[in-house]
Amino acid sequence: MTTIIDCDCHNYWMSAEVLLPYMDGIFKDFFIRGEQPGPVGAFPHGHRPWLHPEGFKRADINPATQEEHYSLMKEKHLDRYNIDYAILTGDEALEASTLANPYYAAALVRAYNDWMVDYWLPKDSRFKGSLVISPTDPHGAAAEIRRLGGHPDIVQVLASHGAQRPYGDPFYHPIYEACAEMGLPFAIHLGGQGGVNSNPIGAGPTTFFWETHALLPQSAMTHVASMIAQGVFEKWPDLYFVVIECGVAWVPSLLWRLDANYKALRKETPWLKMLPSEYFKRNIRFTTQPLEQPGTKVEHLWAILEAMDGENTLLFASDYPHWDYDSVESLHIPPQWRDSILGGNALKVYSRLPQPKTLAKTA
Amino acid sequence: MDAKKVLACKTHEVATGQQKIVKLGNLPVGIFNVGGEYHAMLNVCPHRGAALCEGPQCGTTQETPHYDFIYGQQDDLVRCAWHGWEFEIKTGEFIVDRSIKAKTYAVSVEGEDLYVHL
Repeated sequence: MTTIIDCDCHNYWMSAEVLLPYMDGIFKDFFIRGEQPGPVGAFPHGHRPWLHPEGFKRADINPATQEEHYSLMKEKHLDRYNIDYAILTGDEALEASTLANPYYAAALVRAYNDWMVDYWLPKDSRFKGSLVISPTDPHGAAAEIRRLGGHPDIVQVLASHGAQRPYGDPFYHPIYEACAEMGLPFAIHLGGQGGVNSNPIGAGPTTFFWETHALLPQSAMTHVASMIAQGVFEKWPDLYFVVIECGVAWVPSLLWRLDANYKALRKETPWLKMLPSEYFKRNIRFTTQPLEQPGTKVEHLWAILEAMDGENTLLFASDYPHWDYDSVESLHIPPQWRDSILGGNALKVYSRLPQPKTLAKTA
Repeated sequence: MDAKKVLACKTHEVATGQQKIVKLGNLPVGIFNVGGEYHAMLNVCPHRGAALCEGPQCGTTQETPHYDFIYGQQDDLVRCAWHGWEFEIKTGEFIVDRSIKAKTYAVSVEGEDLYVHL
C-alpha cells in the first residue's frame, strides 16, 4: 500500500493573537501595542508588493473558528485522500523573515513554534511539525533549532525562500550546523518576499500577481546554486535541503548550467568534490506542488522530471488549503514513480517518520 | 604496432611553462615543458574539439576542506583555450572527471632533438 506523505500542509490561525500566551517582555508589548500591518490579530511582517486579487485559500475552505481549521483539513484533505502524514508548514509565521528587527522576528517564530507544538501536533497523529526560523539572526535561529529540534514530532527546519542573501552564504551556516546536530533537514518554502527581502524577482519588481507567482522560483534557483557552490553539502554531507513550492521543471536546466560552468572553473571552489548535479541528487529534494502543467503533452514534463531523477528527488506536496492545491489523485507524474514520490522519498528525508511497517491509518 | 617516431622541434624552443604547437603530418600537437620534462598532447580537446594546447599552461587550486585557496600543480596543467577545462599535461586527464582524457604521446629527447612517438 502506498504511503502518502504531504510535505506542504498549511496549519492556519484565525488570528495571530494565538501567539500571545507564548510571548513575554518587550516583544509581547511590541506585539500588543506596537504597529501592525493590519487590524488586530495581523502578524507583524513586511508585506510583499504583489497582492493576490482573490486571496490565497481555496474558496471551498472557509473555517469560521480556529477549531474548524483542523476539522475541515481532516475532512477535505487528510481523510479524503488517505494521507498518512502531513508535514505542517505553518503559514504567516514564515514572514517573520521580512522584518528588519531580527530579535522581534525570533520572538515571533519562537511563539509560533510553541503554539504549533501545543495546539496542532497533539490534534492528529498524522501531523508532523516544521520548526520555523527567521534566518535574519542565524545564531538565534540555531538556538531555536536546539531548543525545540529534539521534539520527536518535529521533522524539519523551515525558512522563507525570500531572503536577504543566497542561503549558501557562510552567514547562514550556524543554522546548518544546528540542523546537522539535531538531524533535521533544512527546508525553504515560497514566501517572505517583502520587507528586508527586497529582491525576490531579478530585473526588478513585476506588476501582476499571476505573472509574479510564475517567476518566484528565481530565488530558489539562486539558493540551490549557492548551497552547492558554497560547500554546504561538503561541510554537512548528510544534510537534506528541501525546496518547497518553487516549481521543478527548471531544475535540470540549472543543473546542466552549473555542471558546465563548474567543469571550466572548478578552481573557484576547491572545497567541492563532486559535480553540482551530484550534490543535488544526494542532498536536495523538491516538493511537487505546484507541478508544472505542460498543456497537452505530459511527456514533455516527464522527460524533464526524468532529467532531474525525479523518481528519487521529488516529494509529494498538496499546499492545502491554497488556491493552487494539488490533490493526490490528480498529480500528473509517471505511474511507476507514485510510491516513491507520494511517500517513499519523504521517508528517507524525514528520518523521524515511522517507517511503513509501523504505519497505521488514523482516519 | 610500434609508434612512429617523429622529430617535433628542438628542446630549446620549449621553455619551462611555455608550450609550442607543431604540426606532425596532419596532427596538431602541443609540446610542453613541465619542470624540465617534455610532454606532448594532441591539440584537440575531447570536450568540443577546440585548440586545447593553445590555452594557458598553469596550476590550479588544490582540494581543501575549508574556504582556502591553495595554489598548486604550477605548470602541470593546461586550460583549454575555449571552455577552460583543466587537463593534466602528463596524463591527459581532465581533473574534474578523470575518465575524460586528452590524447597524449610519448616523447624522447636525443641531444637537442625532441621526438614525439605517434
